[in-house]
Amino acid sequence: MVKLEAKNIVKHFQHDDYRLKALGGINLQVEAGDFVCLVGPSGCGKSTFLRIAAGLDTPDEGEILFDRKPVTGTGPERILVFQEGALFPWLKVSDNVEFGLKMAGVPKEKRSEISKRYLDMMQLTKFANSYTYQLSTGMKQRVAIARAFVMDPDVLLMDEPFASLDAQTRDLLLVELQLIWEKTKKTIVFVTHNVAEAVVLGNKIAIFSNRPSIIKKELTIDYQRPRLMEDESLRKFQQQVLNELRPEVKKSR
Amino acid sequence: MTKLVRNLLTKKIAFYVILVIVWQIIAYTNIWSNNLFPSPLEVAEDLAYGAIDASLFYGIGTSMLRLLVGFAIAILGGISLGIFMARIDIVNQTVGSLVLGLQSIPSVAWVPLAILWFGLTDAGIIFVTVMSSIFAVTINTHTGIRNIDPNYIAAARNMGAKGEQLITNVLIPAAFPHIISGFKQGWAFAWRGVIGAELLFSFLGLGFLLNVGRQLSDVSQVIAIMLVILGIGILIDGFVFKRLENKVMSRWGLR
Repeated sequence: MVKLEAKNIVKHFQHDDYRLKALGGINLQVEAGDFVCLVGPSGCGKSTFLRIAAGLDTPDEGEILFDRKPVTGTGPERILVFQEGALFPWLKVSDNVEFGLKMAGVPKEKRSEISKRYLDMMQLTKFANSYTYQLSTGMKQRVAIARAFVMDPDVLLMDEPFASLDAQTRDLLLVELQLIWEKTKKTIVFVTHNVAEAVVLGNKIAIFSNRPSIIKKELTIDYQRPRLMEDESLRKFQQQVLNELRPEVKKSR
Repeated sequence: MTKLVRNLLTKKIAFYVILVIVWQIIAYTNIWSNNLFPSPLEVAEDLAYGAIDASLFYGIGTSMLRLLVGFAIAILGGISLGIFMARIDIVNQTVGSLVLGLQSIPSVAWVPLAILWFGLTDAGIIFVTVMSSIFAVTINTHTGIRNIDPNYIAAARNMGAKGEQLITNVLIPAAFPHIISGFKQGWAFAWRGVIGAELLFSFLGLGFLLNVGRQLSDVSQVIAIMLVILGIGILIDGFVFKRLENKVMSRWGLR
């Protein structure tokens, strides 16, 4: 069943006096339970596409369909995890995680029950009462993921959430995310510029072309889980992706 | 108490002790007549009289009440206006320039209008207080909201916050470090506004007591009241706003 569908998404960036066509007609179908990684040259508009899918940005042409219905704004069924987490520094970790539930009017006891479960899943229980500045970057990203999962969205949209992490922390989170995905059966669309990361996470990889970008190629990665970064057998998948990606990166320079 | 804080406190106390001693010595030399330049002892005596017959406390209470009412209105109005300016471009482009202009009007300049509109009443003094402090709160709220990381707002919207929820759960707390600066400035302006208005209205309060001192040519009373005004200013800033600021700053990890 198709969960999320992009139909001919076109988006321009306005630069002082000229318009740059970033997205040149993106077509993508994401099946329920898919883990799709979007890779592409930097500046190709992958993050913009994700914001459009979340309803935080509007396309100039085309539309996003969620469960076959056009998306007109943000919704709790499509939650975006930001690159830098975008955690609220004025709230404790537990209150950050409960934020969406509070907005939805869920009573206090119920909220803390749910947030406890996800904080536990993310191994953050000890930090429930901390403020965000007291956390490491890796912990912040885990809070951001917990905050998104608490909303119980159908689709998680993740915008390079591991880009600013050190290698060890990222490798741990790559495994954790796969385990959680398998357990929760969520649909995930994950933007990254890191091919190795994409191959570890995705069961599908969509490769963006250079601007004005279209989806140049979709690959399916059929391989056991959880996959590890150091797994040599993943090399051949990486090579496939790189073969498609390299010419685009060259063009973008 | 850390060593550093204790050290700082010792320096402060030493400074004020020396100041009072120098003052006492100058008064003792009689360079100026005692009527014009009273000694610290005489001023202290005056404060004691004021405390004993309770006129001092009555004055402080009256002024503080007016201040609190006026400042509360300024906070509510200033934050609301600041939010409107930050979120609605047309309001910022029109009302924004007026606010900047009004901010530069000295608080006592509102007194004639207050007297004409409200007469010699508490309402008039409160009006002056509000007008002297509201724009500092407005401008700082506006700046604070304009400087919010747009991802905070995007994330909150994505998680379902909208309208009033977005304002109370995201915009105000995210802008709060700036809003506190607005409170501090606004408070200082409000305090000046109250005292200035009371001087001219001559209708109870510390400003009125200052005026009485002047009419009786009682310099030590004038100085005594000025010290009280100074002391309250320092106390409120230190105990209310500094604490609030420290709390927020440490929560954000900015200190």
